[in-house]
Order: sequence, then structure tokens, then C-alpha cells
Amino acid sequence: MSTVIILWSSISKAKDFKFPEIAGWKQSGEIETFIPKNLYEYINGAADLYLMYDFEELKVAEYQNEKKASVTVDVYRHRTPLHAFGIYSQERLPEANFLDIGIQGYYEKGFLNFLTGPYYLKLSAINTGPEDQEVLVAFAKRTAENLGPKGSFPSILSAFPAEGKQKHSEKFIARNFLGYAFLHSSFTADYELQAKKFKLFVIERENRDECKNMIEKYLQTIKSPRKDVTEGRYTLSDPHHGEIDLHWQGKYIWGILNLNEVSLRLKYLKLFEEGLKKKVLSD
Amino acid sequence: MKSTLAGIGGLFFLPPVDMKQEVKIVEAKGKEKKLVYRTLGKTGLKLPVINMGVMLTDNPNLIRTALDSGILLLDTAHGYMQGRNEETIGGVIKGRPRDSYYIATKVNLPQNRTTGLYTDGATTEEFLKRLDISLKRLGVDYVDILYQHGVSKKESVMYEPVLKALDQAKKDGKIRFAGVSTHGNEPEVIHAATDSKAHDVILTAYNFKQKHYPEVRNAIARASQAGIGIIGMKAIRGAYQQPPTIKNITGSLKWILQDPNVHTVITGFTTFEHIEIDLSIMDDLTLTEPEKLELQKEASIRGLYCQGCGQCLGQCPEKLPIPDLMRAYMYTYDYRSLAHAQDLVVSLNLPSRVCEDCSYCPVKCSIGFNVPKKIRDVARLKDVPSEYITV
Repeated sequence: MSTVIILWSSISKAKDFKFPEIAGWKQSGEIETFIPKNLYEYINGAADLYLMYDFEELKVAEYQNEKKASVTVDVYRHRTPLHAFGIYSQERLPEANFLDIGIQGYYEKGFLNFLTGPYYLKLSAINTGPEDQEVLVAFAKRTAENLGPKGSFPSILSAFPAEGKQKHSEKFIARNFLGYAFLHSSFTADYELQAKKFKLFVIERENRDECKNMIEKYLQTIKSPRKDVTEGRYTLSDPHHGEIDLHWQGKYIWGILNLNEVSLRLKYLKLFEEGLKKKVLSD
Repeated sequence: MKSTLAGIGGLFFLPPVDMKQEVKIVEAKGKEKKLVYRTLGKTGLKLPVINMGVMLTDNPNLIRTALDSGILLLDTAHGYMQGRNEETIGGVIKGRPRDSYYIATKVNLPQNRTTGLYTDGATTEEFLKRLDISLKRLGVDYVDILYQHGVSKKESVMYEPVLKALDQAKKDGKIRFAGVSTHGNEPEVIHAATDSKAHDVILTAYNFKQKHYPEVRNAIARASQAGIGIIGMKAIRGAYQQPPTIKNITGSLKWILQDPNVHTVITGFTTFEHIEIDLSIMDDLTLTEPEKLELQKEASIRGLYCQGCGQCLGQCPEKLPIPDLMRAYMYTYDYRSLAHAQDLVVSLNLPSRVCEDCSYCPVKCSIGFNVPKKIRDVARLKDVPSEYITV
């Protein structure tokens, strides 16, 4: 057993979490645990997307009451709160009924999803009748209490200009942003203004050199290499995405997709710059 | 082919056979590309051998590029991204001629995770309701293939309410073909789908790393001979993840396509480069010698862990849940995750003495494990006090 004991180093975190006891409900069956290699056993092909967001572990508990109603609580733990936000943002339904649970949650008939710290929780109910929402909210709140500090949305989201931004449309793309491995990750938000739909994005890296490297690779990819790549604005003609305006400054690259009107593009680049300055000052 | 199935199933590389495929040179994105097409069984759909699993992306331009590059089939599911995946596809195909692409989606219904059987909420009405939602998200009147999603038991393949729903959806013109998707206990599911005669297409996990690939291959051959279209998935499982779990992407794709009974493969692109790499295999589907060597090297790493073939089920006189115990063994020694292993072992409610009282063990493992030895090893976890858990 000595080998076994030695291997026991990384488990205390997972062991800390306990599903709550809820009056009138009993856990049916054992708690199930899934990890990256077998997540597909639980959510089939959807598992691949979770793996892109550095999924670490899922714990599943099912509760039943005397009326044979059941509630299933799925607790997904990701490597960081940012990655948990990323997968939550990929599945968030912008038109749902939003709730003040954890950092944010929402309810639709039969299910409730929310985000707290590095956890993404998905609760579903069967046969809960008209009390469906009430039951799910109670479970969500009690479970959240056992999951530590809820944290907050990534601070960089505050830099997105408010005008025209579609509510609950912010996302974190963990890898291969715009379909390019060299662009790594990005934050995006959807906009609608004057009947025009477009997307804003911002890439945040560790330092200026990483951003420079990205711009250079992007220019090479679209076959417009430049000798001297300096901070400032770039209008790129991307074979897949059309014309993209972006701006590089320091460790940030921000830009606009799917917007033809040049004056509006310039306006939003400027607004974004102001938002980032405020964000940097407040950090 | 039929008379030699058992023998061929076990071969790592298959002998060349007449593939019954068509080759076309098409112009895509200003470049000439060689595309290889096979016919998806009795559906008659002619598909390139590489198609797109859309589950990993919400990037519409990536999907557009895939279609513009010659890919015809987009594979999604009712549940991917809580439905947003289907909506993204809907946005891409809007305005494109309906006969210029094929859509496959999947509907899941509540299943008991332990037994793999459908549960109370799994009704014909619910299945059809979910299909209608999917059609609305996609913005189409019908999908080309509708799968019952993620099935691992023959009873679930034959589940009457779902078969009734698939039949009704066909009659209503909401689906052209019915299918089943599986990535667990695949041979049983494939055989059941063949026997059911209710399915036109099977979407199955199939790759060279599966220890039970001969059984999957034989089941596929039988299904294909019955006219069922076969679509492979998980062919390059994890190859585009970080770190990659499969090193040779083109070799892995060619490996599955060496099987003439596989009609196409879906892969989950997330970059434009992935599309180019995957489509490039159609220049020549023959495995090169370096690719063969690499695949053999990867596959020859000794099988230390259970492959979940299920052959041992019912063999133990004490009715021990052997696949679960083997999974706990894998958690301990492969994943190095004792928490998962202990959680699982404790949840199995094992007797106090495990594999200690039988003088003879009748369990025959398909890959030759000493099953009682591994069980005795991992079953000790149930007796480890939790205070020893942290180092």
C-alpha cells in the first residue's frame, strides 16, 4: 500500500467538497466522480469542449423526495475560475431568467446553471412541478455555500464598451481564438447598434513581446508580413474573417469583427482603449 | 469479406481491398483539392471521408471554411453548448442551398448512468419535443441524420419509445435517416442496432488505441453488410488537445479509413490549420511506412488498464463489479488519483473479504489481466482511513 499512500497528494482539494443535506430530500445512490479521461461517459461528445476549458473533475449527486421528484447536481471543477467562466459563458443562454447565485446563474424550466469560483454547476430537476424553480434555487444556494468564495467575473470584461453590448454575451475563448492557434485565448462580446451586429474582442497576454509575436504571426498568416511591427492600429484583410481592425498596446490586443463601417470601428477601438485604461488603473 | 471477419478483425493493419470509393478533384477556396467519397450505406449519401464534428467551436467562419473546403456533413447535438452549437450552425447554413450540406444531430434522453438504461423521463413525446427545438435552432425543416445520443446498452438501442419517436419523425419528414451514437460498449450497441433494423446510420468511437478494436471492427463489418452507414468518431482522440494524447494525426485518420466498412469520419476542428491537415490525408489514404511505425509504437505500449470490453461481466461467482474495480485500478495507477479510486471503491459496497476465498477464479479477461490480483490490490483502498488521504 505504500505506493498508494505516496500517490495521495493531489486529492485533498476534491475531498473537501461535500454535497449538502437538504430537508425533505435524500441522496439516492452514491456520488459519482468523473475526471478528464472519462468525462465522455457522462456527457458524451460535449466532454471535448469541457477539456478545452481545463476541466479537472465532476462530482454528481442525485436527490429524491417522497413524491418521487428528483434533483441532480453536477459540480464541474475547472483549473481556474477563468476557465470555469469560459465554459459557463459558452453554455450561457442570454435570454434566460438570471439569478443572483454565485457569481451568476440562470434558470430555465427544469434546470439551473451557475458559476462560483472555479466551479460550474448544472442542476436539473424531474417531477418538481410548479415548485421547480424554488426547489432548484434552494439546492443551488445550499450547494454554493460549500464551495468557498464565489469570486467575480474576470475584471477585463469591464473594459468592453457599454454602448450596444448585448447582455450576457461576454465569453472567454480558451484556445485557438478565431481559428488560429497562435492567437491563444480571448474575451469577446456581441454588439448590436444601428441594426448592425458585430463582435468585439480583447486578448490579454503576459507581456508586450507576446503580443508583438502574435501580430507578426498574424501578418505572416494573411501574407502581409512587415519588417517593423510596432504598437498601434492594424487593419487586416483576413481570408476567413474579412476585414478586421485591431489595436495593439502593451500586453493587450483589442479589435472588431464583422463591422464594415470604418467610422464606427474607429469609435469602438477608442472606446475600448478608454475602458482598458480604466481597467489598468483600477487593477 | 464475410467469411474472414474474425481473422481480419484482429489485424492491426488491414490488407488492401477494393474501397468502393470515388475520387474527385474539386476547387475549394481557390485551390484544387483531392477529395475521396464513400457511400454511407443504404442512405445513399455520398460523403467525403472526412467531415466535421462541430462540438468544439462557436466560430462560424471555421464552419464556413469547412463547408467551402468540400466537407458536406456537419455533426452536432441537441445538448452541445446548451443548444448554442446548433444555433451557430443555423447561422452558417442560412442562405446556402439545402442540398449543399448534410446535418446530423443527436437527441439525448434521461439515462441511468450505472445501468445505461433509459429512465422515466425518456418518452417518445420528450424525444420529439427536443427534435423540434433542434430543428428550430438549426433553422431547417429536417435533419439528414438524427441519432439517439450516447447509447451503451442493447436494451437502450431497442428502447421502444425512442424507436417510435424515430419512426414518427421520419414519417413527419423531420429526419431522413435514423441513427445511434455510441462510445462505450460499442460492439454490443452496434450489433443491437444491426438487429433492430430501425437504424440507418451508426456513429461509433473507433481508433487504434481501443484494445477491443477487433470487436468494434467485426461489429462494424456486420452492420455495414446489413446496409447501415458507418461514421467513425474519436479517431484522433485527444490529438488536438494540449498535451496531445495521439501523436500521428494523419496516420490515426488513415488507420480508421483503411477499414472499408467505415464510410466517413468526423473530426472536431478548432483551427483552419486542422481542417487542412485532416483533409490532406485524401491526397493518399495509404498509410506510409513511417506512419505505420509510429502507430505500432503507440499501440504497442502494453495495455495496463481495462478497456471496458465487458467480457468479464457475469463471470465472477461473487458477482463483483469487475469493470468498476478495474476502473478504480486505472484511477490509482494511471491517473494517479487516489481520491477518485477510493470514491469508486467505497461506492461499490464490496464484501469485507474480496477475492480471498475462492480457490479458483473463472474470470477470463480479454486482454489477459490477472483480475483477482488487481482487484485485491485496489480493494484495499476501502480500508484506508480518510486521515491518511492527505500527505
